[in-house]
Amino acid sequence: MAVKFFGQYLIEKGAVTREALLKAIDLQERTNLKFGETVIQMGLMSAADIGKVHQAQRNQDLHFGDMAVQMGFLTDEQVQQVLTWQRNNHLYIGEALIKVGALTKAELANCLEQFKQDQNKYIVEKIEIPAGVPHQPIWEMVADLTYKMLTRVAGLSFRSGPCTIIDQLPKRPIIAEMGFSGSVSARYLLSVSEKTRKLVAKAILEEDSVDNEPIEVLDDSVKEFVNIVCGNVAAKASQLGHSIDISPPEMRPDSAEGISVPADHTGLMFPIYLSDGEVFELTIFVPNS
Amino acid sequence: MKRVLIVDDSIAVARQLEKIVASDDEFEVVGQGRNGAEAIKLCQQLKPDIVCMDMNMPVMDGLTALRSLIPMMPDLKVIMVTSLGGVGDKYTESIRLGAKDVISKPFEKESVLEQLRKLG
Repeated sequence: MAVKFFGQYLIEKGAVTREALLKAIDLQERTNLKFGETVIQMGLMSAADIGKVHQAQRNQDLHFGDMAVQMGFLTDEQVQQVLTWQRNNHLYIGEALIKVGALTKAELANCLEQFKQDQNKYIVEKIEIPAGVPHQPIWEMVADLTYKMLTRVAGLSFRSGPCTIIDQLPKRPIIAEMGFSGSVSARYLLSVSEKTRKLVAKAILEEDSVDNEPIEVLDDSVKEFVNIVCGNVAAKASQLGHSIDISPPEMRPDSAEGISVPADHTGLMFPIYLSDGEVFELTIFVPNS
Repeated sequence: MKRVLIVDDSIAVARQLEKIVASDDEFEVVGQGRNGAEAIKLCQQLKPDIVCMDMNMPVMDGLTALRSLIPMMPDLKVIMVTSLGGVGDKYTESIRLGAKDVISKPFEKESVLEQLRKLG
């Protein structure tokens, strides 16, 4: 039911054992060199200069290749050569499983086909993000997975409105939020009415009525919904080559004026309309650089 | 009957898991913890057979707890129940640290029970 890692899917289906998967992952880690390791392998830089780039990366948020170009160790063309080398020599988990004898080529092809069908429901659909916002495909995916989970987990029927850039979030009684960090950082906020909170809680708790539940449990259900979305965003992002960590979900304290988008951030708001006229919002605070 | 400890900072998920686990006569829920530190303490006190534990929790996360639990209680069967199950690195780290399985959220009742039964 969730976004899955191919190895996880194979174990769940009983196609490979845990031991075989770990063996294949070890082989992948020995084969798929990091950018700096590839640069050394290709004889483009010394280990000492690699260390200088790593040191500089602690003070400036740049990818290794961009930093190496900025410091004069590599040219743009050499960075492209390294990326091409990495792409051409990348060992995928399925190939690694064949190499360690856990799967045959035919079995892999069959499992990949089944995996694609299983994950079809998580193919990201096109959502327009305003021009100039960095990492647009990630925010498309965040909005799309939120919509998909609202349908699958919360069982809501809704219509999504166009994404707009905002300076201020409208005041809502309940705002659950979560932070993304790693190769992409942002704050994810889901602001809902009391009625929508109850709908989410009913679905998460699998109860017909939540009228007697304490507020803490209702809020916790909204936080858990946000946790499910953000965890699946991290999983989908890892399939796209991004490493995203998430922090535990929190509730935003009530703010009479609504919430202002922090300085140096862009606020992306995606309105969500329920069939009975209720509206709630997904908002993402994206750092500008 | 297998004794199960549930560890999740979300009251909603802990309740959902308790309901699922208790629906099968083969299992008994013996306690609930809210973070990794509580998981370690409760495992020492309650000596469960199985722990269903979240990964992303405040105070102490599930992977840190797993790193302590397995050397301390090598026969303990830990299943990570997490929204991060589909992140390859997190999945691999869980299995390397000794988790028997990883269940991704959102989960279905039958898949949770099936994974628990597989533990034997």
